[in-house]
Amino acid sequence: MTTLLKVKQLSKSYQQRGLWLKKESFTVLAPTSFSVEAHKTLAIIGEAGSGKSTLAKILVGAEPASSGQIYLNGQLLQAGSYKQRCQHIRMIFQDSGTTLNPSLTILQLLDEPLKLNTPFDEKKRKALIRTTLQKVGLLGDHMNFYPHMFSGGQKQRISLARAIILQPQVIILDEALAALDPSLRSQMINLLLDLQQQMGLAYILISHNLGIIRHFSDDLMVLSQGKVVESGKTLEVMNNPQHKVTQKLLMNQNFQLKLRKK
Amino acid sequence: MNLLDIRNLSIELVHDDQNILAVDKVSLSMKEGEVRGLVGESGSGKSLLAQAIVGVLDDKWHVHADRFHWRGIDLLRLSIEERKALLSRDIAMIFQEPMACLDPTTTIGEQLAEAIDANSLTGFFWQKQQQRHSASIKLLHKVGIKSHSACLNSYPHQLTEALCQRVMIAIALARRPILLIADEPTAAMENSNQVQIFRLLASLNQLKNMSILLISHDLENITHWTNTITVMYSGQFVEAGTTNQIFNKPLHPYTRALVDSSPSANFHLPAKSRLMTLPGSIPILQHLPIGCRLGPRCPRAQQACVIAPSVTNFHGHKVSCHFPLMPIKAPCVSKRNC
Repeated sequence: MTTLLKVKQLSKSYQQRGLWLKKESFTVLAPTSFSVEAHKTLAIIGEAGSGKSTLAKILVGAEPASSGQIYLNGQLLQAGSYKQRCQHIRMIFQDSGTTLNPSLTILQLLDEPLKLNTPFDEKKRKALIRTTLQKVGLLGDHMNFYPHMFSGGQKQRISLARAIILQPQVIILDEALAALDPSLRSQMINLLLDLQQQMGLAYILISHNLGIIRHFSDDLMVLSQGKVVESGKTLEVMNNPQHKVTQKLLMNQNFQLKLRKK
Repeated sequence: MNLLDIRNLSIELVHDDQNILAVDKVSLSMKEGEVRGLVGESGSGKSLLAQAIVGVLDDKWHVHADRFHWRGIDLLRLSIEERKALLSRDIAMIFQEPMACLDPTTTIGEQLAEAIDANSLTGFFWQKQQQRHSASIKLLHKVGIKSHSACLNSYPHQLTEALCQRVMIAIALARRPILLIADEPTAAMENSNQVQIFRLLASLNQLKNMSILLISHDLENITHWTNTITVMYSGQFVEAGTTNQIFNKPLHPYTRALVDSSPSANFHLPAKSRLMTLPGSIPILQHLPIGCRLGPRCPRAQQACVIAPSVTNFHGHKVSCHFPLMPIKAPCVSKRNC
């Protein structure tokens, strides 16, 4: 297995005007290093304010990092090179309904990244959109619909289509499964797993639901107050949590579901 | 005696050309001191049902019921004013979306003080004022807000969603209700906060004998805290029984799919294997299938499913399906035959 994404000493801190012209810095993410391989899923858990969303934003390029480097396929990603980055690292957000522009049809929505990033002509773009929609379990004719005509689960599929249309290598799922109903959520998990096998995608999954993480991910990273407190193989960490924060998170989840099967 | 006994409650949305039956003949009964879960995915009508119980639906919704009893009193026979007086004394509700339900123009302190029962205060008006203040501080402490003075003086937009949710719970608890209807009380919270809130509700249930109707879209989240569960799908009654029955021996294909689709409930599944799931998506209100509304998605659907099934009772485990997962033996009449 080749290492797809490698992060070295990535950190983020904000400058705050303190007393007497002194600038106080406020660290959101302490220097963090990790790597993700193709076909693998890295899960990130942590409490609110532990810096997991910040990490996702930095990786996708929505926020600049204070220090550190991100390597994709061994190549350094420059801070301003969005062209390169947005082709290979894509993100799906929690609330799919609000991330789709309501005044554009699905065709226009999916056409936008293609226009900006590929040299294809219109015919080829349309064909690609059709196959991508079929790949996520929708019909090709859905491209003429507007977002409000779809249900919540279908909207999430459209965001997924928008994410995979550029043949990316890494997809970041920031609580992308939390807002879905249980029966649609398991459909979505199946779809994501299928796509991972077909396309060799690497996922970075940010989630609260430890059941999904256990099922879905290979590696697990626990963040607390901007620091990585524990990381390793998902099953090993879950079966034998070392740090207090991990133990607390796991204990809370066990409360939610006491297995009644004896 | 049942605390709440509802039989065949229907809620209809009155529309220009056609009426939409949003909730179709749902029965619900609650015993005193019981924690009942009401589970359903979005659009299943669980929030509508709760709102119909409290009586806060507006005119465009028509509510019919064959029986609607509250502690033996037939609510259908009372006038609206009498019913409101009775229900507002005994039932409290925690609404979804706390940010939207709190008044944005007044402080939390005022809203909380408003909810406190005037009959519990004694003395002159300045003494009452003080009692109100200390009572609201006590309520905030009860729901786990430590910095009470900051919270009382702030407006809803200054607080986080989770704090607003706790304030909503405090307002609901202010009148010491007999039945608390909690509509997704922990939707905006993290796991550790969720557990705190559930623990609070469970302790109130045990110490004050307060009954709770816990509404959630996720079966796995609430199984630890409930005695009995009612499952709904798309406005129809699906299954009701004890938590153990629902979770371990589901009779309805839909409940089965809910349990099977949750990865945390299926520890034996190897990682990254396919989860069991129902095909298709939840029907929208404008295009509801006839008969059993699960029909188009159900793996066991047959021709008979175009007619809505009636409820079969099997030792307190009620199921509404033509082809339940386990063959139901007819309940025996005398014990000797069994």
